[in-house]
This record gives sequence, structure tokens and C-alpha cells, in this order.
Amino acid sequence: MNDVLARRVSALSGIAIAAALALWWLGSSRLALDDGADASRPAADALHALWLVRAMALALLGLRVGALGGWRAGAAAGLVLVAPAWPVLVLAWSASAAPLAQVVLAELLLLAACGVLPLLGLGLHRLLRQASLAEATATLAGVALAAALWFTRGLWALPAA
Amino acid sequence: MLRRLLLLLLLLLGWALYGMAHAAAAPRIELTATPAWAGWSRPGRATEIDIRLGADASARVTLELVAGRQTVRAELDLQPGRVVRLHVPVAAAQTVAVSAALPGAAPVQIEVGIAQSESPVLGVALADAEAARVEGIAGFHTVALAADDLPRNPSAYAGIDALILDAATLGALDERQLGALLAHAAGCGRIAVVNTDERVRRLLDGAAGCGGRALINAVSLASARARLGESLATRLPTAMSPGALSAVAAPDHAVWDRVAVALAVYFAAAVLMLSFTASLPALVLAPALAAVAALMLLHATPPTAQLVVWSEGESGASVARYQALQQFPGLARERVRVPLPPLLASAARPCDAAQAMRLDFDTRLGQPGFAEFESRLFRQTALCYSGSFPMARALATEARADGSREVANVGAEAWPQGLLVAAGRVHDLPALGPAARVMLAPLAGAPPRDAVARTAMARTPPDSAAALWPLDLAGVAALSAGATGWLLLSEAEP
Repeated sequence: MNDVLARRVSALSGIAIAAALALWWLGSSRLALDDGADASRPAADALHALWLVRAMALALLGLRVGALGGWRAGAAAGLVLVAPAWPVLVLAWSASAAPLAQVVLAELLLLAACGVLPLLGLGLHRLLRQASLAEATATLAGVALAAALWFTRGLWALPAA
Repeated sequence: MLRRLLLLLLLLLGWALYGMAHAAAAPRIELTATPAWAGWSRPGRATEIDIRLGADASARVTLELVAGRQTVRAELDLQPGRVVRLHVPVAAAQTVAVSAALPGAAPVQIEVGIAQSESPVLGVALADAEAARVEGIAGFHTVALAADDLPRNPSAYAGIDALILDAATLGALDERQLGALLAHAAGCGRIAVVNTDERVRRLLDGAAGCGGRALINAVSLASARARLGESLATRLPTAMSPGALSAVAAPDHAVWDRVAVALAVYFAAAVLMLSFTASLPALVLAPALAAVAALMLLHATPPTAQLVVWSEGESGASVARYQALQQFPGLARERVRVPLPPLLASAARPCDAAQAMRLDFDTRLGQPGFAEFESRLFRQTALCYSGSFPMARALATEARADGSREVANVGAEAWPQGLLVAAGRVHDLPALGPAARVMLAPLAGAPPRDAVARTAMARTPPDSAAALWPLDLAGVAALSAGATGWLLLSEAEP
């Protein structure tokens, strides 16, 4: 996979993740509004889900693209995966009671991961010296990291109100 | 060196003298706060605090009352030797913190305790204080009151469930207290008056809501007690709850629609852009700019408040009581300051007691002028109002054996077009002049089609009929573009 294709796939994944979560958040908010319930709870859940799903996708993608295409390609793929959710993030934060600092910090962590994960992938490639082995190892490590994020998701939840 | 030290000393001395002079010039504030109903109320209800504020020099003071999550704030200009008196309606929290502060000085603070009665509260305001103490009604917590314990704001009457007062106490009430008492009577408050003269009786009868069933004129305290006890068996129409009122309001999804459309446009544009370019700056900058645009969208368009007024009256009565709900749809995370409709503001309160809100009290008008609260996207902050207004409509209906119904305007005022709710059906009611009649055909009605008709049906006794008209809110809702109001006039109960 060349760099441009990897970037397109990442960007499309980022758009798909953001669109799916926006749809879910808007639906939940509409139900909350119709019931006269507090719409900040689905917004906080949406913020949490946006962070978690992008972090998991980044774990899978960053290490693998870094191992295959180098740091620059991995970082670019990570950035275009993370960025499409920003407008949804801004709107969901506006509807939530989550502190701004916490949301910004979470986003900075994701951006930092965009730089660090491809670097680890590149490190794997240099360590193992075989592209196919490095790709498989990076993919496995990415899956393990994503699974770890999923199983510890309660730790990353934002306050609902 | 010595010169510098001397200069420093002089400066320090000057600063100390200025500080002393400033301290000496700070006026001394005298603050007292007395709760209505001798300090009693019910949990979750409203009460009133009587504030007396004075200073020994001219000063501009900020007065603040904190009751639970509700704060009432007022700015006052004090003159030496003049005590300013304010009657501020507040939520009946167990403790109300009252503070008065001069700019840049430590506030004077006092705390007022409100005793919360689990039992219904019976206020007994009699000139004979001993009688007030011994007499009561089983199941009620009796509170002996002096004339000055009665509130000046009608909303504070929520703190008690029934009131007995005699002619002497009635005579000792000031104009605002009398106005609040009449407004409470109009709102179907249970009041027993002992030994009043004919003039006062007529005044109270004219003001009383619910066909006067909640107002008792008695010749003695024993008779007032007995008749009040009997009247408790009579179920009075309950006021509309905020939940029922919000059901009457057409759901406003304008903000949600706007956000949904904005996101749909953004995602369509993002996919379109991706099909043309895979440039990194473009793919990162476009979402960043879209996020900024989303923030600007939230701040650019101020939300429109929605006001719903639901009023009810009995045929032939001179007053109708109303409950109103004003909803402020949230757009962005910001502190919002909204003006309150002056004709409704005297009884303004947050519909949700858990909603933190500050009401700015207009000391000139003696009522809140503005409300301030934290808002956010999709948050519906609601203010509730209640009160009564004069009405002159009278309705009589007669069901015929063939299922038709004759409706007559038996009042002196013409009706506009409206609806008639009877026997589970809703009929179109034409405009009728005084003494005019109309015959509604047996199958002319239809089941209720919308929330307003359903609410009217739910609020009308099954064996009775009621007319429903839209209210003209031109004068009331000058501040609210989306205002709707309704008047439900039910047949007089025998």
C-alpha cells in the first residue's frame, strides 16, 4: 500500500468513525430531548466513544503503517484518522458538562500517539529487519493495544454532568 | 541613602493613613432578614424573606440571597438613616444565606433558617394570639401568625396549605399583603376568614378562583376550623405541572435540526474533498476549520425562547388562574442572561429545583427582572410562572337526548372561535356574541388531535364540558417571539 492510498484509507476511516458516532449521538440527543431528559449524558458518552474508537483505530493503524511505510507515512495516516472527528468533538463538548481541559488533553494524547505509534512501528521494522515479520508483529501489537484500551475503557470515561 | 529611607518612610506613612481613612469611611451596614410564615414552609416550596437594610452613610450595596441552587441578587442605593425594606421570594431551602456587600469590602452575612414541615401547614393569623395557638386541624401543622408574617408575594403562599385569618388581621394587612392574599384566593388557595364585614366578603368572593369553593367565610373560629376541615374533602383542580405544560408546547427541534444539517453538510464535503485530494494539510486543516465554523455557528445565532401559558377558569368567575413555562433552548456553553416578561416575572422560578439560577431582583418594580444560568447545546432551561388574570366569560351547555349539545354564551362578552371539549370529543366552537347559542350536531366532534386538545380533555371532568380558546399574548409576551397561550373555561360546578 503506498502512502497516498494509506492516507486515503485512514481519512475515510476517520470520516466513517466520526459520522457513525455523530449519528448515534444525534439520535440519543433527540430521544433525550423528546423525553425531557438531560442531553449532556449522551454527549459525554459520545466524547468518550470518539476518543476510545479513534485511539483503538490509531493503535491498529499507526504501528502497522509505521512499520511498513516509515514514520512520516504513519504519522500522516494517524493525523487524517483523528482530524475528521473535530467538528463532532466540538459540538459534543458544547452539549456536555465535560471540562474543556480534559477534552483538550485527551485530544493532545491522541495527537501524541499519532507521532509515537509510527515511531514504534519503525523501530519494530528496524529490529526485526524483515518487512513481513515486522508487519505481522506491528499488527499483533496494535490489536493487543486496542484490546487493552477496550478493556480499560472505564478509566477513560468523562464525567456526564 | 538617608534621603531614600525618609522618602520610603513617608510613602509608607501616607499609605497607612490612606488605609485608615478608607477604613473609617467604609459605611456600616445593618442587615436583618425575617422569613414569612414565622419561618415555616414545606420542602420544595417557595417562601419569602423580609429584608431590612440600612447604612450610616450613602452606599451602593449588592444584596444576595442563596437558597439551595437559586440565588437572588439586588443592587441597592442606601442613604444614611433610611432603612430599605425588600420582600424577596425564594425557594424554601432549610437555610437561606443573606449577604450585603459594598464594592471591595467583606460582605455582612446572616443565615435564615426555614423550618420544613412534613405535614400540611395551617397558618392561623388571629388578633387573639392565644386562640391561634390552641386551635388547629387534625393532620395539619398549625403555625400561629401575626399580620406581618403574611407575605407580599403571591408565590410565597406556596409555603402553606391553608390559612385562617380574622377581620382584625385582614385590616392590619398592607396593600401588597392584601394583593398577594387576593391573588392566592384567585389561585384556589384554601382560606377561611372569620368575622369579616360584607364589603371585605364581597371583595374576597369576587377574587376567589375555583368558583369560591376554597374560600370560607365563617362567623367564628370554631366554625372556620370545622368548615375548612370539611372543605379538605373537596378536591380542587390542581395547577398544571411543568411537565404537563411542556407537553402542551410544540417540541422545538430547531437547534437539533441545525446541528444535524451542519454535520451532514460537513461529512458530505469531507468525502467529496477526499475524492479530489489526499494532501495532508488539506485533510487536517479542513476539519480544524470546520470545528471553528461549528463553534461560530453555535455562538452566531441566539436561541428563541418559547413561552406557553395555560389558563383555566370556571364559567362566570371573575378570574382565571394561569401556569406558564418559558423554555430557553441552549446553543453553546456559556452563561446566559435573559430578560423576564414583566407581567409574569413576579412569580418567576426555575421549573427544575436542581437548576442553578440567579434572578436579578429589580428593587424599583419589586420583582425579578433578569435570570442568569449556565447553558449548553441541547439544554432546555425552563422558567415557570403562575398567577391569575381577570376574565369575563360564561358558558352553559346542555346535552340533548339525540346526542347533540346546545352551547350558550351566557356572559356579557363575545367569544372568539375556539373548541368545545365534551364527552371525550372535541368540537369546533364558532365565535358567539353575548346571549348567542349554537347547536353542535351529535357526530360533529372528533377525538383530540393534538397535545393542546388532549390536555384540555384531560383537564375537563368526564361529566362536564369546557371551551378552549387561544389567548392573545401580545401584551404579555413582548419579549418572547414564540409565545402561545390557552384559556380553558369549564362549566360552573353546581
